[in-house]
Amino acid sequence: MKAFLKKEWMEWSRTGRLLILLLVFALFGIMNPALAKFTPWLMETMSDSLSDTGLVVTKTTVDAMDSWIQFYKNIPMALTVFVLICSGGFTLEYEKGTLIPVVTKGLPRRKIVASKALFLFGFWTVFYFLCAGITYGYNAYFWDNRVAENLIFAMACTWLFGVWVIALLVFFSVAAKNSPQVLLGTGGAATGVYLLGMFPKLAPVLPAKLMEGLPLLQGGTGREDYYASMAAAGGLSILCMVLAMVCFDWKRL
Amino acid sequence: MEMLVLSHVEKHFGEKQVLKDVTFSVPEHSVFGFAGQNGAGKTTAMKMVLGLLPAGGGEIFVNGMQVRYGNTPTNRFVGYLPDVPEFYSYMTPAEYLCFCGEIAGMPAKEIKNRCEELLCLVGLEKEHHRIKGFSRGMKQRLGVAQALFSRPKLIICDEPTSALDPAGRKELLDVLVSSKEQATVLFSTHILSDVERICDEIAVLHEGKIVLQGALEEVRKERKAAATELETERAEDAGKLLSAFPFLKAQGRGRLLLEETERLPEILHFLADADMPMLRIERREATLEDLYMEVVGK
Repeated sequence: MKAFLKKEWMEWSRTGRLLILLLVFALFGIMNPALAKFTPWLMETMSDSLSDTGLVVTKTTVDAMDSWIQFYKNIPMALTVFVLICSGGFTLEYEKGTLIPVVTKGLPRRKIVASKALFLFGFWTVFYFLCAGITYGYNAYFWDNRVAENLIFAMACTWLFGVWVIALLVFFSVAAKNSPQVLLGTGGAATGVYLLGMFPKLAPVLPAKLMEGLPLLQGGTGREDYYASMAAAGGLSILCMVLAMVCFDWKRL
Repeated sequence: MEMLVLSHVEKHFGEKQVLKDVTFSVPEHSVFGFAGQNGAGKTTAMKMVLGLLPAGGGEIFVNGMQVRYGNTPTNRFVGYLPDVPEFYSYMTPAEYLCFCGEIAGMPAKEIKNRCEELLCLVGLEKEHHRIKGFSRGMKQRLGVAQALFSRPKLIICDEPTSALDPAGRKELLDVLVSSKEQATVLFSTHILSDVERICDEIAVLHEGKIVLQGALEEVRKERKAAATELETERAEDAGKLLSAFPFLKAQGRGRLLLEETERLPEILHFLADADMPMLRIERREATLEDLYMEVVGK
């Protein structure tokens, strides 16, 4: 498995995937406090044109919470970019036939899935906390992060949502034949869960609730409201991984 | 001992039956030619040996162990060269071979030595850049190196010479023959001259069935009898011979072919009586191509 992990590292680093994602997540991390910081200046420059329409702009004040609001707006986009860039991780290998020499040399198929999944979960964790860390650092520099309650717990919830989406990505990468099918499956499943959230009885137990971190930061809800959705996301992620391992044993390469 | 045994193997793709009761065995330390037209089912059979496709029926054994679809433990005995080998384009040939050695669980020192040895053998020792820009021939050479890397007991090559130039083809065939001492070679091809050049045994697959198999020499003896070629000095004499012996086959100006060789004395009597001058009367051995055409019914 060490050999395949080494190969995965080469693939991530030499194909540019690592660099692109690093830049994207770092950029999002910088954008969150930057947008919050520039909001008063933007409002001021627009005040003249707004006053013509009858809107009066008074003095705008921002704090770390505005930056975290931006964070929650941007992180789904960053996750989408991550899924888009990583959607061909398995399927390109099926299309080219590069896994055939690996399998015929006796490497157990489950080690292939495990290695690829390990890199996906690992880099999601690194990039996510890089983005959150940059936002946290700037927030601490410009304002005060103490306005945000349950910060670490809220961060962990969003991270877990990403883990669930990546587990879906791994499962659909094993089940599908090409990258569009992977994106359709992952996107379809995630959207389906969002739509299920429209039923008030189901919403508290769905992984989609984990992306609603602002009420946690603002102290509107307690941690206990998220335990069910955390358990659902964790359980579904494990289920996706088990199914992926079993399906890959029967996958026609 | 038999290194590979296929016993009553069947395979369907939907309604289409691709392999029908395929049974043959490959003895240890032999070079086995697996011939057949394009689409005859050679690649399908090979992929089943590698556990890459499930068998619809029958059994396959490699080195005495049964092959299972998916994770088959028999793959540790096998080195495989696909028809169009594809590699990780961001690696150099040396990195790829080291990766193969590590997957096969070889010690680091042996990996290094084997890597240098095989890159020299396939002529890629000076290629230090990434595989991305390699031609198909270069990829085929690298494919041979990776197939041989872990010193497998069975080397399976799917049309290994089809992308190579004549010199490359000869070199590859020499490599396969030299591998015979340590390993058994099964290679599929539709280039019959390659089979004649290096194979000890042959099996011909046609429309999913084995239509001819055995040791190359025995197959030649058992099958079609040798023919006799006749060439008259005067072209018009060939016409006279043809009208006297309609079973002869015209082969061109003044040339005739006698397939029923037992009737040669009759013809010789006729030639002597007619005082017909001959340029050549020559016994022609049946070539593998003749046998192949005979069994595939063309």
